[in-house]
Amino acid sequence: MTWDLFIWFGISAILLSAAGAIFALSGRRKYALSYSTGSILVLASFIVLLWIGLERPPLRTMGETRLWYSFFALVSGLFTYLRWRYKWILSFSTVLATVFIIINILKPEIHDQSLMPALQSPWFIPHVTVYMFSYSLLGCAFLIAVFGLFSKGKDMLDAADTLVYIGTAFLTFGMLSGAIWAKEAWGHYWSWDPKETWALVTWLCYVLYIHLRLIGKTSRKLLYLLLIFSFLCLQMCWWGVNYLPTAQDSIHVYNS
Amino acid sequence: MNNLAFPLNLILLVLWAVSVVMIWRNSRESRFVRFMLSPLATYLSIGLFLIIVLVVGMTGRRELAGSWPFAVFILFFQTVLAFVILRGWRRGNGIRWRFFLLHTGLMLTVGSMFWGAPDNLTLRTQAFKDVPVSEAYAPDGRTEWLDVPVTLADFTVSYGDDGQPSDYRAFIRVGDEDVVLRVNHPYQIRFGEDLYLSGYDTVSQEYCILQIVREPWRYVTLAGIIMILAGALLLFIGGPKS
Repeated sequence: MTWDLFIWFGISAILLSAAGAIFALSGRRKYALSYSTGSILVLASFIVLLWIGLERPPLRTMGETRLWYSFFALVSGLFTYLRWRYKWILSFSTVLATVFIIINILKPEIHDQSLMPALQSPWFIPHVTVYMFSYSLLGCAFLIAVFGLFSKGKDMLDAADTLVYIGTAFLTFGMLSGAIWAKEAWGHYWSWDPKETWALVTWLCYVLYIHLRLIGKTSRKLLYLLLIFSFLCLQMCWWGVNYLPTAQDSIHVYNS
Repeated sequence: MNNLAFPLNLILLVLWAVSVVMIWRNSRESRFVRFMLSPLATYLSIGLFLIIVLVVGMTGRRELAGSWPFAVFILFFQTVLAFVILRGWRRGNGIRWRFFLLHTGLMLTVGSMFWGAPDNLTLRTQAFKDVPVSEAYAPDGRTEWLDVPVTLADFTVSYGDDGQPSDYRAFIRVGDEDVVLRVNHPYQIRFGEDLYLSGYDTVSQEYCILQIVREPWRYVTLAGIIMILAGALLLFIGGPKS
């Protein structure tokens, strides 16, 4: 399997997911579940075949992480739909996944077989996949926050809470597995590298949200805004940091 | 902050910990303790931490994390955390495991990095083939003598299809022991001190760059990280309702 075939898998996944979203909006739950599951399986198949073809986990380049993010966005959307039955969530997760699939179709990056020595570690796969999964859950929390901000009267925070708790748990696994790995690879658990710093910013944002919710005196609007801000910080950590001047000093640069 | 190295940092840590416990035991109703346990102190500790880290993230000024104002903030952060743990780790006869693991783990992790920082040392040296190395250099240029001499016996590099190095390893003699060093596989010289292969001469492969990291508090940091990971697992299982 090579990256050239991604266009067919990507478009199939988008069409199936869009069909699932339309069925969800029209209240036909069984069809929504079937088509959404189908779209997830299509992307999962591509990931498995690409993994076999590359003879390494496809987790190295930005394009490869976008592939995982599209996959987990669909998984998280389906999970949220199954759990809370929001009819609109599949439309949102489809849009989210579509954006990243299209970026990957239009901007294919080098996806060769080599894996640089720093990435040859047992921590590599759990660290990246756990992060991508948490990003997708927190992406759904972001969508809920945007929806809640503009829909007057509806309290969406209970749904956001569950996504934030699970997302933050995985974010914590991602950050700390990274710290343990950094100690093995570079000698220090923490070195204030730009990527690490923004990971901590993101984590603190969600920790602040959890504490504000636990204490329970903050307005809904402020909490929605905090979730939106947190997700922007998450994007900064994921790819935005590469565009900062400070990224020149980063040890987290793996693209060829 | 090197003048606060062991044993002074340990003495200060014990003094701080004893003070917190004594204040908790004897002055639980004081204004100071009530403030430390107030929502405002929680918001301040997380919010200020967030602002400081955001500034470091935006400006890239890592030196802020080693400044005295940051040290004062971390002391405040830890004190709030300590009082919150003392108040909340038990409910009735039971232990609130999720709360305890997350908060205590965070205190150990941040605390060991903070109090242990003066004891940390990172040294680098070049090792040429068959030439014993007995000294290494700190980032400020200071020379440190190694406890045991290190000799590079051999060095190999493998390349991938794209011409980039896919694997490189150094065969090193540390004292009387032969070890193989490669990225992600450091060698423990002794308690809290590890040897890393951090680079090599990419032109002629005549030497490799070795890094010696002394972090005697690393085990406390690791214990804290493991506690937070266990707490995060409970966060995932329990969700917002527990």
